[in-house]
Amino acid sequence: MKKIIRRILVANRGEIAVRVIRACQELGIETVQVYTEADANSLAVKLADYSVCIGHARSTESYLNAAFQVQAALMHKADAIHPGYGFLSENGAFAEMCEQNHLIFIGPSAKVIRNMGDKAMARKIAKEAGVPITPGSEGNVAGVEEAQAVADHIGYPVILKASAGGGGRGMRVVWKSNELPGAFRDATREAKGAFGDDAIYVEKYLTKIRHIEIQVLGDGLNVLHFGERDCSIQRRNQKLVEESPSPVLTDSVRKNLCEAALRLCKQVGYASAGTIEFIFDEASNQFYFMEMNTRIQVEHPVTEMVTGFDLVKSQIRIACGETLWIQQDEIHMNGHAIECRVNAEDPEKNFMPCPGLVTRFLAPGGPGVRVDSHLFSGYTVPPYYDSLVAKVICWGQTREEALARMRRALGELVIDGVKTTAGFHQRLLGHEQFQNGEFHTQYVQEVFLS
Amino acid sequence: MSDKNLSYDELLQMVKVFESSTEFSEFHLKYGDVEVDLRKHGAPMGPVAQQKPVANDTPKVVFSQPPTPLKVLASTKNEAGTAISSSADELPPGACVVKSAMVGTFYRSPEPGAEPFVTVGQRVTADTTVCIIEVMKLMASTRAEYSGVVTHILVDDASPVEFGQMLMVIDPSA
Repeated sequence: MKKIIRRILVANRGEIAVRVIRACQELGIETVQVYTEADANSLAVKLADYSVCIGHARSTESYLNAAFQVQAALMHKADAIHPGYGFLSENGAFAEMCEQNHLIFIGPSAKVIRNMGDKAMARKIAKEAGVPITPGSEGNVAGVEEAQAVADHIGYPVILKASAGGGGRGMRVVWKSNELPGAFRDATREAKGAFGDDAIYVEKYLTKIRHIEIQVLGDGLNVLHFGERDCSIQRRNQKLVEESPSPVLTDSVRKNLCEAALRLCKQVGYASAGTIEFIFDEASNQFYFMEMNTRIQVEHPVTEMVTGFDLVKSQIRIACGETLWIQQDEIHMNGHAIECRVNAEDPEKNFMPCPGLVTRFLAPGGPGVRVDSHLFSGYTVPPYYDSLVAKVICWGQTREEALARMRRALGELVIDGVKTTAGFHQRLLGHEQFQNGEFHTQYVQEVFLS
Repeated sequence: MSDKNLSYDELLQMVKVFESSTEFSEFHLKYGDVEVDLRKHGAPMGPVAQQKPVANDTPKVVFSQPPTPLKVLASTKNEAGTAISSSADELPPGACVVKSAMVGTFYRSPEPGAEPFVTVGQRVTADTTVCIIEVMKLMASTRAEYSGVVTHILVDDASPVEFGQMLMVIDPSA
């Protein structure tokens, strides 16, 4: 059933707010931008048709406050809310509040958000859909004998994890069967001491894994995939560089990954854009479901460059009640795209955030270069929010061309006044292992930074 | 200028001159114990100013003495179409502004049909409830925060307001 969306409230900030506004402008939809006093001078506020101040600066009292977004939307007679990424984008209660107030939430339903947001539930759904999950025990093990049986079954190395745990405590990696009893004793003792609960579960310990995710778009009945993104270049579990296609996937693994992603989406009747994240173990060529993100992702431009589809406009069209207007065989992955996330951080000082005044900003251009950023000369990066200031995405016919373009683009990029990670990305891209595509999720920390 | 202290009137004069100037976007003065830092709404910070970004762009004047705080009025354009702007010229000097603490709907009365909380000319204390801001059916009372006489009510009853929007003006000296 078609719904009319004439005006969208953008419940986010920074570069993604600009992205959403751009999509709305192309669709002839008016925009209402919420902002805090810290964001009063932002590019999103300048570009939007309307803007409304919702708070001082702190996210908890502004961008994270569901009532404020809904109030602002109702006040400005918006038909829909786009939550962007982060903040309230995967908050089931927020999606529900929108539904209750007759506002279209641009994303899946509250029920789907809740189900996929619960990691244990998501694993269960994945299993039901025949999607491989990280091998491990079903819940906690009763004792060392069960731990041994599970470990023998899934194969070594395994990791014993405290159920109530965190901070890397109550964990023991076990490389060989005869080490398990001792490790189990240590893990339970540590868990009991640290968390007051000695319950342990067992998981396969995967080293040198890659993070591969599949972009999907559903309308509630049917789902499409847009191929994968390899996001293995990370630092402290934060993505730095993403690319598509992955330099290491074979066609058959890619096919299996995409089909698994589609099965999972069909299992829940997924609507809107989403991403299914997998761990890929190169050694065994096995992949395992990690989690699903029921929102548009930071790195979505990588897929847009390779497939030519506008994912944000697609989200809005789906939210209007359109059924999928393309077939799977109309989606082709063409060439290679890479994205570098440029943060206002000082790589020499342990990536300490560097907010402040950007005295000069000049975005690179030329063929195959896209920059998604909210920066402009004279803009002050506030200290209250995340440090992402620009995404530089480069496309080439081949990975080599995309890399060469990225080196050129990063060289042209000017961000004066604040320290950024642009130079760090240049060095990273010049590293031989990166150029060969030989990296895993610990590569930046274990190899490049040491 | 007096040779000892910066007088209140002299300071206000400076603020007015700065506000009406189109050439300058910031002004910094240190005079004895008094430091004045004025910045126009949305102006980028120059090399002299502190690097730490100011969250609130309203020009602020802070006295180290005397203790009475002065709120210099800023112009705020509500992008929804209601232009609400007041400059220091239009309102009495020393006036205090009650601003909305949330985005929501402004109500003058505790409920429809009831008498408004306050009217123009009414004397209030800091604890007097002057209005209600409603956010998603939750009513939040707004206190005057200043003692004095209500001189202006800037928003119509049942109008949408945004965070920081000026609602009422109180003259503390009356």
